[in-house]
Amino acid sequence: MTQTSENATARTGTGSRFTFWLGVAVIAGAVALVVLGFFAAPADDEQRDAVRMIFVHVPSALLTYVAFSMTAVGSLMWIWKRSLWWDITAHAAAEIGVIFCALTLFTGSVWGRPTWNTYWDWGDVRLVTTLILFLIMIGYLSIRASGGDEEATSTRAAVVGLVAAVNLPIVNRSVEWWFDRTLHQKSSLTDGNLEDMTLFTLVVGIAVWAAFFLWAMIHRFRIAWLERELRVGDLDEAIIERRAEALHDESPVL
Amino acid sequence: MTDDLAPQAPRPVRSGRRRIVPMLIGVGVIVAVVGLVANLVGGSLFFYNADEAVERRVELGDERFTLQGAPIGCSIIEGFNGEDPVVAFSVTFGGETVDIVHFGDPAELFQPDVPVVLDGAWIEGDAPVEGFDGVADDGWYFASDRMRVKHDNDYKNDEDYDQRLAESKAASDASAAVCGT
Repeated sequence: MTQTSENATARTGTGSRFTFWLGVAVIAGAVALVVLGFFAAPADDEQRDAVRMIFVHVPSALLTYVAFSMTAVGSLMWIWKRSLWWDITAHAAAEIGVIFCALTLFTGSVWGRPTWNTYWDWGDVRLVTTLILFLIMIGYLSIRASGGDEEATSTRAAVVGLVAAVNLPIVNRSVEWWFDRTLHQKSSLTDGNLEDMTLFTLVVGIAVWAAFFLWAMIHRFRIAWLERELRVGDLDEAIIERRAEALHDESPVL
Repeated sequence: MTDDLAPQAPRPVRSGRRRIVPMLIGVGVIVAVVGLVANLVGGSLFFYNADEAVERRVELGDERFTLQGAPIGCSIIEGFNGEDPVVAFSVTFGGETVDIVHFGDPAELFQPDVPVVLDGAWIEGDAPVEGFDGVADDGWYFASDRMRVKHDNDYKNDEDYDQRLAESKAASDASAAVCGT
């Protein structure tokens, strides 16, 4: 393979040396988290082993906030500056955020069964506002998938991304604002009373989730960027073909 | 580069079906969000604390509602209503006490001083559980058929033995003060 073709291949891939080693770090971190979570961190006096769900649930919730905040910033920058970079960033963060949000709802539900004695409670503010956030972001992705004029689609999605952002502080603060009216406990990380090894494992969990988020963001961003380049390239090619057809039609018949 | 060309560039063609699916999802999401917000606003008062439930007893009548309070350790009695399990206990919050009869198994983490959230209704009369007098003993009890445990954000382990011992003693003292034992 020549140098030129190698460069061409490199340009169309989504990986790099950095993402490779970041991916390796994520896998190693995940293994460490499993070992710490199951063997090093102690069981809770009351919840017993169910407490170990905290090492997945809390990082998922935190990264949901990060991802959807990034979507909000990207949406704002698209509306304000018409920045394509931010538009793609907002879309990529929304996709990954929806996965984290689904994971938050799922792990919370699984954790709730042995501790609260229920998988779900429709009266709980934290649970319902999180579900609303999830559904709004599903709506965001459905707008993105609806097609049509790309600029108009980005603008519509950006508006939804900003509406979702209004819900973010409500979700986060709900356990404080409705402290006496919610089943969900207050923040474990900022207000909780955690054993040293439980706290350490939780921090490792957050670091692993954050590294995975970064890794996924880079790849998803690059895929979206390449998809756009491909669409634009196809468009140019189609126009050149039609132009050639037009020139051919205009040539005099001898 | 393509601005000067005519006709305009063709846009990607999407079939009607491909466009309808995301639109239907979008409409479904809007309906779901509106429904959830309405539910949240309507149910913003998720539960009455024990003191509020006592205060509103006449107003509530036999209406089903949700009540929250901390079980008093010495009051807990488990038994059977026919063949079905029953647990009777008293809960306290805000200086008021309510006698509870929960029809069904107690929650896995049900224990003294850890608040519970119960669905049910007021019943006038004595609690139908043998040997249960109730701390409130005011001629009313709350008949519950659903119990959730309102767990806090303390994640502790037996290694903190001294702290555990002190907290256990404090909880025991609190229960003893209420029960008068």
